[in-house]
Amino acid sequence: MDALSQAAAAALSIDALLATATGTVVGLIFGSIPGLTFSMALALLVPFTFGMEPTPALAMLLGTYVGGMTGGSVSSILLGIPGTPSSAATVFDGHPMAQRGEASVALGTAVVASTFGGLFSLVVMMLLLEQVAAFAIAFGPAEIFALVLFGLSTICGLAERSIVRGLVAGTLGLMLMVIGLDDLDGVPRLTFGTVPLQQGVNLLVAMIGMFAVPHVISVFIEHGQVEPTPIPDAVRARLPSFGQIKERLWLMLRCAGIGTGIGAIPGTGGPIAAFLAYDHARRFSRHPERFGTGELSGVVAPETANNAVTGGTLIPLLSLGIPGDPATAVILGGLLLHGLQPGPMLFRTHLSAIYALYIAVAIAYVVILIAQLWGIRMFVRVLRVPRHLLAVCIIVLCVLGSYAIRNSIFDVYLMGVMGLFGYVLLRVRIPIAPVVLGLVLGETLEHQYRTALILSEGSHRIFVSSAPAVIFLSLTALTIGWQIWSALRTRFRA
Amino acid sequence: MQLNRVDRWLGPCLALTALVWLWLCYAYIPGARSEGEPGPRAFPVLLGIVLAGLGLAIAVSAFAGSGSTAAESTEAWTRREARIVAATFALLMLYPFLLDKLGFLIATPVAVLLALHGILRVRSWLASFALAAGLTSACWLFFVLLLKAPLPRGAWFL
Repeated sequence: MDALSQAAAAALSIDALLATATGTVVGLIFGSIPGLTFSMALALLVPFTFGMEPTPALAMLLGTYVGGMTGGSVSSILLGIPGTPSSAATVFDGHPMAQRGEASVALGTAVVASTFGGLFSLVVMMLLLEQVAAFAIAFGPAEIFALVLFGLSTICGLAERSIVRGLVAGTLGLMLMVIGLDDLDGVPRLTFGTVPLQQGVNLLVAMIGMFAVPHVISVFIEHGQVEPTPIPDAVRARLPSFGQIKERLWLMLRCAGIGTGIGAIPGTGGPIAAFLAYDHARRFSRHPERFGTGELSGVVAPETANNAVTGGTLIPLLSLGIPGDPATAVILGGLLLHGLQPGPMLFRTHLSAIYALYIAVAIAYVVILIAQLWGIRMFVRVLRVPRHLLAVCIIVLCVLGSYAIRNSIFDVYLMGVMGLFGYVLLRVRIPIAPVVLGLVLGETLEHQYRTALILSEGSHRIFVSSAPAVIFLSLTALTIGWQIWSALRTRFRA
Repeated sequence: MQLNRVDRWLGPCLALTALVWLWLCYAYIPGARSEGEPGPRAFPVLLGIVLAGLGLAIAVSAFAGSGSTAAESTEAWTRREARIVAATFALLMLYPFLLDKLGFLIATPVAVLLALHGILRVRSWLASFALAAGLTSACWLFFVLLLKAPLPRGAWFL
């Protein structure tokens, strides 16, 4: 009870409320502009949180995450272009509704569905987090290694259609992590005598470069080549009727369950949840033929599911320290920056901080509801800002943000190099998400692997000596094996 | 461009990168201090081997013409794209240099003007100056006044 009252005091302070609202609005704006991702928004915002207390700082990051997931529906409905990959499924019925003159109902329904999905997953997260953490607290190095390896394998396997490309990306991320001072032996690795490199490739610097710079380059290339999409003039969001919601309440509950469950699996995330929920809604509808022509359930299902992912992804992040997607990887960076080490021990050492995060997420959804219903015109205005001017602003923020992390000019150069690296990877169809997650999880993976072998005096049997380790290693093998089998089957059919 | 053709040089490039990586690991990272203990070199070497294997798998699949992604395609590089990528990278290298030497208040508007006129070839100088001045002021207000984050003042002026 003490922890709860402390958390309420921290999360409901003026600073924290302002930070949550700011983060949520920034997330909504980044989410609503096609091409700008909330992972990029998070990476750019982290440096701004340095001077803040931990609760407002993390509330701002969580607000951005939640807002970004919701904001994508605005351009999906109004322009027919998904603001984020998670809102791609919303285009199918949201945009036809807008073309029929029902944009306000579609936008209002999307907000209600998003809020419902988000709050549902928050409740599930609150119920499950401590249980998962309590189960994981007995894990030793071998079990943690197997768990992280499983997380990485799902991320690499599901991030791209080709598992080989996903694995290449994950391996490249792990290789970047190797550079710097080895934390077990204190030996510099591949630093070539460069002092700034001894601290390694800074995670946030790499994220800023890899998420933002490829986008900036793409916008610069498109400038003058692509006609801007016309944006409607008068837009407002109108709440759906009670009857419309009541009729779809059971569907919303099922889609919220799908979203939360999918979100809890590392490497899956919003787009998969949204498409699964959309498909589920169509298959179980009495009028499947209406889907794709402006059916309200076609907006409700993906929007509920993609927002339910937010609580789901936070379960492995907070209880096990495993981020499920690039956005939660940045949040992990933010948690570490403010002295919170996610994992089972977090519940023993920082219980009030966790409760404060719950409250912050709930507040973020209230802000979303208010901002989207009454401030939708502002987001439409943001959509009118020329993308190339936004890209120039992003360059400045990238440079200043990466400098502010350690007050190091070296980091700014590194950000530029990582940005170019990210662009080249995208051009050869190697996904960026596994690179970032390899960079995030690599240190734990190597540390636990070596610690386990030191404990077992070099015997690899330690990795098959406990049930959790065997289960996670088997799941890893299954994930990779299933992906390879699917690829081979597709090839032989072709 | 067919993705299969991209893979024909991507696979060997990855394998070559892995070989260089392995050489660097053996040349610059010390091995284990005692038997049975994986030293600081073990993990990087393992990663090099994995990358080499993946690179070979991509190359073999591409040259055999049976890559799972053979039917997919990716856009070929154009001269315009190469120019913009090179110019953006040059700007990302020049901006921190100017930031270090001339300080934030000079480097930022210069970088904004270079981006607008050097890369994007925007014609309106008035709008460019307005954006440069507005963005610099907004960043200064936010970083320096609000967040109290020190921004470089310029080594040449110290």
